[in-house]
Amino acid sequence: MATADKVLVYDRIKGVKQIPLEEFYTSGHRTCQGCESATVMRQFIKAAGPRTVVAGSTGCMYVANTSYMTTPWIVPWMHTQLGAGGSSAVGMAAGLRALMRKNRIPQEKINVISFCGDLGGGDMGLSGISGALQTDYDLLIIMYDNESAANTDIQATGLTTWGAQTTFSPVGKVERIMHRRWKKNVAAMLAVGHPNCRYVATACATFPPLDFLNKVRKALSIGGPTFIHTYDPCPKGWDFHPRYSHELGELGVRSGLLPLYEIIDGEVVYTYDARKTAKGRIPVREYLTRQGRFAHLTEEDIAHIQRMVDQMWDEWEVPGVAPFRGTLKVSA
Amino acid sequence: MIKRVEINYRGIFQKTLAKRIGGDIVMIAARMGQVGFSNGRYSDAPERNGIPCKYFAFVSPDLSEEELEAECGAKLDIDEANISVVLDDTMVKGVEPWAWHGVRPINEKVVPYGYMLVVSRRRPEDLVRFMARKPYPYYLAILEGDASFAGLWVYRDDLTHERVLGALAALDPQLLSIEAVKGYLWDKTHEEHRVEAAQKAYESVRHNVHEVTPLQGIDWPYEIPKLPKWHEFSEGVVVKAVPREFHLGPKGQSRNQLFKRGTTKSQRPVVRFDLCTKCTLCWLECPDQCFDPTPDGYYDVDYEYCVGCGKCAEVCPVQECIVMVDELAFEDNRSPWEHWKRDPEGYIRWAEEKKGTHRVLPNVVTGTGQRVVEAEPVPVGGKPKPAARAGA
Repeated sequence: MATADKVLVYDRIKGVKQIPLEEFYTSGHRTCQGCESATVMRQFIKAAGPRTVVAGSTGCMYVANTSYMTTPWIVPWMHTQLGAGGSSAVGMAAGLRALMRKNRIPQEKINVISFCGDLGGGDMGLSGISGALQTDYDLLIIMYDNESAANTDIQATGLTTWGAQTTFSPVGKVERIMHRRWKKNVAAMLAVGHPNCRYVATACATFPPLDFLNKVRKALSIGGPTFIHTYDPCPKGWDFHPRYSHELGELGVRSGLLPLYEIIDGEVVYTYDARKTAKGRIPVREYLTRQGRFAHLTEEDIAHIQRMVDQMWDEWEVPGVAPFRGTLKVSA
Repeated sequence: MIKRVEINYRGIFQKTLAKRIGGDIVMIAARMGQVGFSNGRYSDAPERNGIPCKYFAFVSPDLSEEELEAECGAKLDIDEANISVVLDDTMVKGVEPWAWHGVRPINEKVVPYGYMLVVSRRRPEDLVRFMARKPYPYYLAILEGDASFAGLWVYRDDLTHERVLGALAALDPQLLSIEAVKGYLWDKTHEEHRVEAAQKAYESVRHNVHEVTPLQGIDWPYEIPKLPKWHEFSEGVVVKAVPREFHLGPKGQSRNQLFKRGTTKSQRPVVRFDLCTKCTLCWLECPDQCFDPTPDGYYDVDYEYCVGCGKCAEVCPVQECIVMVDELAFEDNRSPWEHWKRDPEGYIRWAEEKKGTHRVLPNVVTGTGQRVVEAEPVPVGGKPKPAARAGA
């Protein structure tokens, strides 16, 4: 492991038997069968523990978890507006700091976690998250990315994979590919632009095992504002049987399409190194052909995605993270 | 006069199917000179995989379109149905939509001498034994077939759509005549096999209609939740959190008591505790937190909360240790671990009987179908073998 990992002191979960048994996000929610975002909720609060307050932006994980006067949350949870993932985290952290300063509540470490979807965080709420990452409050923002506005029946967002079918990009007879944007690189963008933010990571709830739990622990231990982007396979929107949710995440990571890394104090540590010089990667075809949203892709389309992924790992200055190329040249 | 048809379906899996049936009822009725319209139940959107949902079709021979819409449009649910279609037979155990309607009987809306049309391979008595007793007689019609499941984008064209239309014509020729159904399907597709599928279903369902008397069925065990009045909401619309509670053993974890959603499942996991290696994966990967760690290191299942996604069966590294079994094979939600502790041999015998001789494995892209494979049973005391990954 890299040096930064040694510097960072945190309560590491070393094996599955050490995972806390108690749930703080419990059964009885309104998510889909096999929901990976529910797994993200369950695991981040397991890692954070009971002394945590959570805010959730509008999206699947709001509507599915606190609607019709019931909730599966055991820790305090608050709904916030679609684009307010960052500002609500700052508000909660500032409120706790003020209450402690005035001795209204005892001095103790209370984790502040705010989650938002890929639409709420990566598109709408980006400025709020940027603001939050420039503060000195201890807070963690988790963007759960199921590559669509899944709550409102699958609309494309800035983080949807190129070529995917959504209700905003239906497959046509004349135009086969209606979603022509490449997936927005949110975690790296935030890391590059916010040097005061000490911890930015990408993760997948189920692969590699324990990885996400420990990334949450690291983010909460290092201090200051932190950010984690999770890749959540969505059985409803990606169109695969819920039984295989965990497998899709693993394939996405191993194909190199969903890069897993941490950026700790400016140092990049790969969780799954998909460079050919390291672990390498499986063809993207194995990931794409297991999803109904890509059923219309032709060989040419798959080759295009493969080329983009190869470029990301073989040509980028920081592979899988930052899309810069070449050496510094002084313009004439 | 208004004829009301409701289509009970599994959210997302059968969304396209139900919508097409509802829409086509309107189109075919129009060919017969009737007026109709079709809509989904508002509170079902946005749908979740597996959650019981409804689609409606309303047809009238004499009302104008405006009058029909004024009578039937913009309602949370209908009060009565002349025909209630059920696209997955496991819904006869009760339907709990996600909008806090409670666990309702599947036959709740059926009128006296109305019809329930269930897609099933079971005998009528095997369905009625799960259904609520009604104070009046009605008919149960069975359209022989498997529940047709697909995803949001890849549709499963297995002719269930055409067969249901043919079956409806068999039940109420005034609503849809078989000639109109066949004419519509031919004009729309020019495909003979679709017309034939409707005709065959029409003929078979006519001989598969059974009267259900007020003596048949069960006393409904679920209460309908009482919705709070506006003045009963707490300030700021605060919802009480689930109280913190955890101990090892069955139901040791506190859970949301007001929404259990167990009726989402059409299959449930059956666990062979004697093969379990205590690897934790079923518990760790469950998105619904329905595995309870036990004092001896196993994981009990709370079936009231299990939604039957099948992830546990897929991640389990031991062959035949966790197997998904049709939900209609089970009468109750009792703790399997307690059963096993009390009577280890009896439990394994029971579990193997429920599991049967074949395993149904859905393809990764749901709409492309499923595989049925013969089981390789592991005897008691047999050496656990590593599981083969089902995903193909």
